[in-house]
Amino acid sequence: MFFALTSDQQEFGAAVRGYLADRFDTDAVRAVVDDQDGDGHPASLWKAAAEQGWLAVTVPEENDGLGLGLIEAQVIARALGAGVAPGPWRGTVLAAEAIRLAGSDEQKAAWLPRLAAGDAVGAFTLRGATPGTLPNVEYGAVADVIVARSGDGLALVEKGAFTATPLRSYDGTARVASVEVEGAGEALPGATAEVAAELEARATVLVAADLTGVAREALSRTVAYDREREQFGVPVGSFQAIKHALADLHVGITMAEHASLYAAHAVDEKQDDAALAVAVAKAKASDVALQATAAMIQYHGGIGFTWEHEAHFFYKRAKRLAGQYGDGDAQREKIATLTI
Amino acid sequence: MDLSYTAAEEEFRNELRSWLQANIPAEWKAPGFWESLDDDESFRLRRDWERDKALAGFAGIQWPTEFGGRGGTPGMKAIYDVEMVLADAPRTVNPLGLTFLAPTVMAIGTDAQRKEIIGPMLRNEVIWCQGFSEPGAGSDLAALTTKGVRDGDDFVVNGQKVWTTNAVHGDKIFTLVRTEQGSQKHRGISMLLIDMNQPGVDARPLKQMSGASEFGEVFFDDARVAATDVLGEIGEGWRTAMLLLSFERGASGISQYTEFRRQYDEIAAVAKALGKDEDPVLRGKLARVLTELECLRLHSMYVLTRTEQGKDLGFEASMTKLQWSEAFQDLWEVYDDILGEDATLESLSIDGTDFDLRPMNAQAMWSRSVTIWGGSSQVQRNVTAERVLGLPR
Repeated sequence: MFFALTSDQQEFGAAVRGYLADRFDTDAVRAVVDDQDGDGHPASLWKAAAEQGWLAVTVPEENDGLGLGLIEAQVIARALGAGVAPGPWRGTVLAAEAIRLAGSDEQKAAWLPRLAAGDAVGAFTLRGATPGTLPNVEYGAVADVIVARSGDGLALVEKGAFTATPLRSYDGTARVASVEVEGAGEALPGATAEVAAELEARATVLVAADLTGVAREALSRTVAYDREREQFGVPVGSFQAIKHALADLHVGITMAEHASLYAAHAVDEKQDDAALAVAVAKAKASDVALQATAAMIQYHGGIGFTWEHEAHFFYKRAKRLAGQYGDGDAQREKIATLTI
Repeated sequence: MDLSYTAAEEEFRNELRSWLQANIPAEWKAPGFWESLDDDESFRLRRDWERDKALAGFAGIQWPTEFGGRGGTPGMKAIYDVEMVLADAPRTVNPLGLTFLAPTVMAIGTDAQRKEIIGPMLRNEVIWCQGFSEPGAGSDLAALTTKGVRDGDDFVVNGQKVWTTNAVHGDKIFTLVRTEQGSQKHRGISMLLIDMNQPGVDARPLKQMSGASEFGEVFFDDARVAATDVLGEIGEGWRTAMLLLSFERGASGISQYTEFRRQYDEIAAVAKALGKDEDPVLRGKLARVLTELECLRLHSMYVLTRTEQGKDLGFEASMTKLQWSEAFQDLWEVYDDILGEDATLESLSIDGTDFDLRPMNAQAMWSRSVTIWGGSSQVQRNVTAERVLGLPR
């Protein structure tokens, strides 16, 4: 029995966290948040993502990737969530996953090495279809290629074949756009319903992992603050009303971490319970991230409600991602269908 | 990630499964069988069956062979726990002895204690009780006042213990006793191994809210125990108790998941039979519980992994307790929600068929206890906050 990350996987996560702590901390995130008209796609961070293999993680080795699995990808996603990091990492990885699973050899050769190297930015959405409107695409405005639904399948839409209009979102740690696609795009020939479902599962796991990172970091920062902050002559973290709430969050976040790790494994291994595992992971991650980030504001008191404090980065990111690919209630309906 | 068991572990599973199939009478699995027996008869059947199981080699799975155990792996213990649930095997009659006392005796007992305690326990010749809680010492265990006064080679013990599992069936009781008069809190306590079959010990059943009497209270009125019948050092009983309680941190979560998941499936079947399975509110509640149960399953795989790596979970064990006990309680609250007003009935007629609800009711009642015993949820949250998160006391 080995239900854990290997030392290589742990090191991968530690490297991402280490980079963000040293080179892209919450001050750097703040610059992105405050620059609302900017593209939210810092060049330094993108360069690091390319150089350190964050983008190449699931791309096959024959396409210049690392050939690793969803477990490694969710390790990166969790670290990026903990850092409330901006940038089109997830869209690029998911576009590459779509091409890997459903693309022709020509499409793979054309796109996978570029996506893996950060030479092309990818985006991925399952809302809307081509031709038509894709209503809410993460980093649609900087994408070189978007993978979206088209008829019963999936299509690639290249830059030039779509028009992206940035949407204002209160989650300043990312950028989203509404995308108009005139043509159908270039079909991914292998995009069966099964493959589309697997891609949705992969996307859902990566969002769940981001949320667990958000939640864990929100809790850690709150614990650190409440150990120091004194009222009534004692640290507020010594009050049981706060202790018990934070203890429950620790348990819940730990469970969410287990659940996204297991879901990644179940999807990679095509286990029978993969659909259930993914729904469980997203339900748990969505709920606990909303709880932990709301608690972060509450247990910082007034300072937590200010623009100056970073709590709102976490809270707003959780708000957006909790609903992506189905919120807790939507996942629970899937769970009910699978188990009742 | 490797979620499989080894070939040797799977071989063990097959052997155990065969033995259980051949040795659990069919009528024992019939609904209401155990409820139809009186308490003494039920206890005797389980006691004898468990002895036979031990003699067949299916006990002390992880214990060293020198102590009569099987010398198995943590994975085998997890498999054992799961298979016992799947086979509807009778529950152990010696849970406190097997889970807590035996490993403590192996760790710090004298050679004589190892010989005298472990073998007879495995064969159920001696049923062990735990004497920790008192009327004035529950969550605050160190407030205990049961006292032992030295008299020659003996201690003379006076006081009262409560919430004692199997009190009326017990033969011996490992008891926290204040042996240093005037000592405070966790100092001056010894763990004495007291014979319950003596005039100075009186065990009385306590009827629980479920109507059952699994626990009781134990009164010591000039009970005598040899001063050599102490586990660990005299005056070091608190240390012994902490070591003893640490043995709860095993891989039992996997069998709890197995048991609770079966209950979930039964409850979902009830919802269907009642035509409530399309109710969106109930579906959401069931799914919420299922989510927590799946998390329990994953957490127990994590715990088993850590155990196999020889890592002590330490205070993280509080998280395991919170996860399983709160999820189990939530599960039975959903059951009540599904039945509504009918939840309290002993039987229910659905489409002309009578369903006996008493076993379900018993679980629903039992679910109120699990967030209290073994350290209440509030104590577990304090431990998690202070010892794991590092919040100030």
